[in-house]
Amino acid sequence: MALPGLSLPGLGLQLNTPTPLLGGQPSSAPQAIRQEDVPPQAEWRFEAGFGKPFTVKLLGGHAEFFGVELAPNQTYDFSGRKGAIFSWQGCRLEVSGDAESEYVGRETEYAIEWLNVHGMLESARDDSREGPRVLVVGPDHVGKSSLVRSLAGWGVKVGRTPTVVNLDPKEGLLAPPSSLTATTVGSQLDVENGYGISGISGPTVTPVKTPLVYHFPHASPLDKSDVYKALVTRMALSVTNKLEEDAQAKQSGIIIDTSGSLNDPRSNYDIINHIISEFSITLVLCLGSERLYNDLNRRFTTSKVGDESIPVLRISKPGGAVERDASFMKQMTQQQIRQYFFGTSKEPLNPHSHSIPYTDLNVLRAKSAASEPGPENPYGGGLDDDDEDDIPYANKPVKITGILYEKSPPGATLTGSLMAVKYCPGSSNEETVRDSTVMGFVYVAEVDDTRKKIRFLAPHPQRWGDRALVWGPWPEAIADLVV
Amino acid sequence: MSARSPRGSFSGDQNLADDFEESLQDLTQNNRLEISNLTLIAKESTEFAQDISKVLEKHIKSTAPTRKLPALYVLDSIVKNVGTPYTVYLSRGLYSTFMEAYTQVDSNTRRSMEAMLKTWKEPVPGSIDPRPVFPPDIVQPIENALMKAKMVVLQNQRTVQPLYRNTPTPPQYGNQPVPNLEYAQNRHYPQFNAQQQMMQQQQHIPQYQAQPSGSVYRQSPAVQPGNDVESIKTETALLISRMQGQFAMNPQDQNLRTKLQALLQLQDVLKVQSLEPSELQQIKSQISLLSIAPIPTPTPPPAASTQYWQPPVPLPQSNPSTQSFMPYSTPQPVVPPPSILAPGTLESLQALLANGQKPSTPQLRNAAPALQNASHAQLNTVAATPVMNSNDLIAALTKNNLLANLPNSTPAPPASNPPAAPPSHQSTASLLESLKGFLPPLTPSNTPSQTMSGRQAKIPMTAASLKEFRPELVRSLYDGQPNQCSNCGRRFLASDEGRTKKGRHLDWHFRTNQRMADSSVSRGQHRNWFVEEMEWIRLAEFDPSTTTAEDAAANAAGNKPQKRTQDSFVRAPPGMTKNTCSICYEEMKSSYAEELEDWVFTNAVMYGNPPRIVHATCAEEIKKSTHQPGSVPGLGGSLATVLAAAGNNNGRRSRSATPDSTLGKRKAESILAGLSARLKTDQ
Repeated sequence: MALPGLSLPGLGLQLNTPTPLLGGQPSSAPQAIRQEDVPPQAEWRFEAGFGKPFTVKLLGGHAEFFGVELAPNQTYDFSGRKGAIFSWQGCRLEVSGDAESEYVGRETEYAIEWLNVHGMLESARDDSREGPRVLVVGPDHVGKSSLVRSLAGWGVKVGRTPTVVNLDPKEGLLAPPSSLTATTVGSQLDVENGYGISGISGPTVTPVKTPLVYHFPHASPLDKSDVYKALVTRMALSVTNKLEEDAQAKQSGIIIDTSGSLNDPRSNYDIINHIISEFSITLVLCLGSERLYNDLNRRFTTSKVGDESIPVLRISKPGGAVERDASFMKQMTQQQIRQYFFGTSKEPLNPHSHSIPYTDLNVLRAKSAASEPGPENPYGGGLDDDDEDDIPYANKPVKITGILYEKSPPGATLTGSLMAVKYCPGSSNEETVRDSTVMGFVYVAEVDDTRKKIRFLAPHPQRWGDRALVWGPWPEAIADLVV
Repeated sequence: MSARSPRGSFSGDQNLADDFEESLQDLTQNNRLEISNLTLIAKESTEFAQDISKVLEKHIKSTAPTRKLPALYVLDSIVKNVGTPYTVYLSRGLYSTFMEAYTQVDSNTRRSMEAMLKTWKEPVPGSIDPRPVFPPDIVQPIENALMKAKMVVLQNQRTVQPLYRNTPTPPQYGNQPVPNLEYAQNRHYPQFNAQQQMMQQQQHIPQYQAQPSGSVYRQSPAVQPGNDVESIKTETALLISRMQGQFAMNPQDQNLRTKLQALLQLQDVLKVQSLEPSELQQIKSQISLLSIAPIPTPTPPPAASTQYWQPPVPLPQSNPSTQSFMPYSTPQPVVPPPSILAPGTLESLQALLANGQKPSTPQLRNAAPALQNASHAQLNTVAATPVMNSNDLIAALTKNNLLANLPNSTPAPPASNPPAAPPSHQSTASLLESLKGFLPPLTPSNTPSQTMSGRQAKIPMTAASLKEFRPELVRSLYDGQPNQCSNCGRRFLASDEGRTKKGRHLDWHFRTNQRMADSSVSRGQHRNWFVEEMEWIRLAEFDPSTTTAEDAAANAAGNKPQKRTQDSFVRAPPGMTKNTCSICYEEMKSSYAEELEDWVFTNAVMYGNPPRIVHATCAEEIKKSTHQPGSVPGLGGSLATVLAAAGNNNGRRSRSATPDSTLGKRKAESILAGLSARLKTDQ
């Protein structure tokens, strides 16, 4: 139990290298350490690649990274990040490492707008015990998540406990991609690492956060909008319930981050409307797209039908917001999954390995809109195993109707996929599986077809019994997670 | 060793420094082999000398006190055996590295460190290079500091115990960058930690060293006047900087100007005069009241007034904490020192000040006769004489106090003291008076969040209000909470509550860092399962870093009618992971409690004499069966009784269905680790 990772390929290699200190493998010369002065209300923008060290230290003045203040003289690692360190008062930074680009940006009107939004939220919180419920919408790569984090970070800084809801399955929040999460943020966020870390068995750098995780294994909400909407309804229910239990959280309000693909005029913004009504949104912030803003503004601000109008504000996109290309996004996805199992360099985690026979597994595959609902078994390769596989399943009361999920016969095709362990048993009906929250994610490390066993990488030593394992088209299989 | 962390799987090429760090972390004692191995690595990787030096310094600073000496020996070995470039890189931070370590270790280690320091002044033994290991200008400051520290220790042995030990909160450093030694102020750590206690006993030493003139004694009422003056100065400077910010926003505000002037003069008075302790106390209480006060921002500012940071310019001031908060200081004419106030009158004054809003309290009435006499006699002189005495001070204060009673009375300066009056015509008295004028009413209903966010102008949710820059928002995020944690950048209010919170927060850092540095704890961690819907909904969000575990547990248990027996727990003493319940002789294992962020024995209490950790349910059974809870024979007492009780307990167990100790135990032990060993029970 102590060393479950030993048998994993790749991991073993690391475990056996005692001290690669003398190997002298770092090829690049020591990076020049440079100092950068950032004038007041300007920001230090950088695009740092993955795997290359890039660190920043605050030498003087004050600075923040999307709502979270940097402590003086602490070294922060921003490798694999594209972002901007903003200073209201001016600051001096010590930067080391290579970045694809780095410069001082002075067009920062967006920051003033963002801060004013924070002021608006504070006013609303002071006015009422029912806090503001904010929805952030806009296309991809316009800084939606950064805005949400800034608002959450500032809120926490003045003593609030806002509830952050992430409805973008592409990027996880305190959880791997393909998860939709709700988190009441009651303690400081982490400068480097998004919101910090969810509960682990040991000490953490920042206080742990506790997300409630739902599973949507599709890259875009539009791929399965009925499921997405059902999950939104379910989440709204949970979040509303939580806020009723916690007066302070209620007063602090909700901040919702969304996926860029909701910006879909063809469906008449169907999903956005759904979110607004389910969460009783009181303020819509629209980034980047003028058309989206106009359409929403027409509908919600000037509507004569509804008795109450919802303010829709057009918010500037940060000057530093850049397109993150497909390969960058892919690396980010992998990094998020990796961090889920292995932690970060500051909070290293040991995942556990479980070898589970086919017969004990309840694997369900989420169907996408594109996949044909017809065939029982879309995997021709699995036909050989049909006889053996059918036996265990036949013993169980199967209530799956086959519309949303289909049985996924264990086979080599599963290798490298990320599966969600649901709290419900695998024999539950489809709606239950869909609405059930996620207990954790497991990674299919190896499928042994001769011994009829699958080896999983799991975050936790405890097995999950007969709980449903669900996977889908997103995120794509990762071959080298354990290499 | 085998459980090397898997992070290397995706880290880049900073491996060398990282691995050096890891090896350092394995260095728990003075092991010649390991040290020479590390030295060899350093020797062969001089191109990474800077990284290695950094890692080494960081490690020395962050590692547990018991491991500092071995780490320092590594440093020593590297500089002696390798020399440049390490001597260059390491000498930069040598003072802080050495001193911070020195303040945290025990006296034996200190002696070793002193011996090591001595060798740094000499050339490397056996070397032909006649130069010393470190240049004298590096070593000398350390020696001076050590000398000073020893003097202080000697002095302290003669004087009484450190006074702030009685204060409710650990002393704070205000706003200057805080050295790590602040962790020594750990109060919530398990009482078993002998090392910890030792550190607490020694904590006065580090403070003197780190900041000889510092404001650490702000909390204690009657300490050395020198320190007290400093702390008041610091606070004054802080207030002034805040005022200046406000003033820049509302330059036409006469009221503000008066206040600012008064404060600046007070500062000067403090600089030139020696005041009596009680007098200081009075000024202090006022200043601190002022600094808690939320910043009123009546009108939107016409211009940006955030204090911009300037690249550091050497300032002639000696106190580092005032430096950062005094962007400029207007030269003020020196005020003639007023006569020393009589102690009696000052006491009544203090009472007055403390109850500024409630003049009908007994304190006021007691103080009143003396004050009233003075006020009539001296009121005219307030206007006439430039130099005032203590009576004038009281008189003016009384008057002002009465003025403050009027509903909605703006703290207009009394006619005798026009705002435009030349500064030289004012003294401590009028200064205090005008200071008092802008004390806001301290309403008890001030919730923390209200104070934190300040009273800001309402911002409507309209597009029109988006564009305008509002410095008060920046202030609420920065200067409004001047008390910053140097570890994570988190900010706290400058109020008592903020200080308490920060103290707890630092304790939390300390606990966390200590556990992270302990490789037996920090290795082999795993992520917990996510929580389930109902659990999430019921989970009360709180910040473990500012809420004491006990508070949180109490809050969580507060809803329940009574604490269940098996919910009681005992924090595991360091190093103790297993324990045998001396009542039922079953093994107890410690588990990690999320809420407490600490290892605990669940279903456990301290029981008997000497106290031992036993199952709470067992203890309960014994108490029940003997019917004399107070005088239950402890473990040191009659074993027979205990055994009899245990036997009784066994018999009971089989019969009774209700509070079954076995069940209770099983329950506590078998809580799914992933669903977290919560100490509060789900309803």
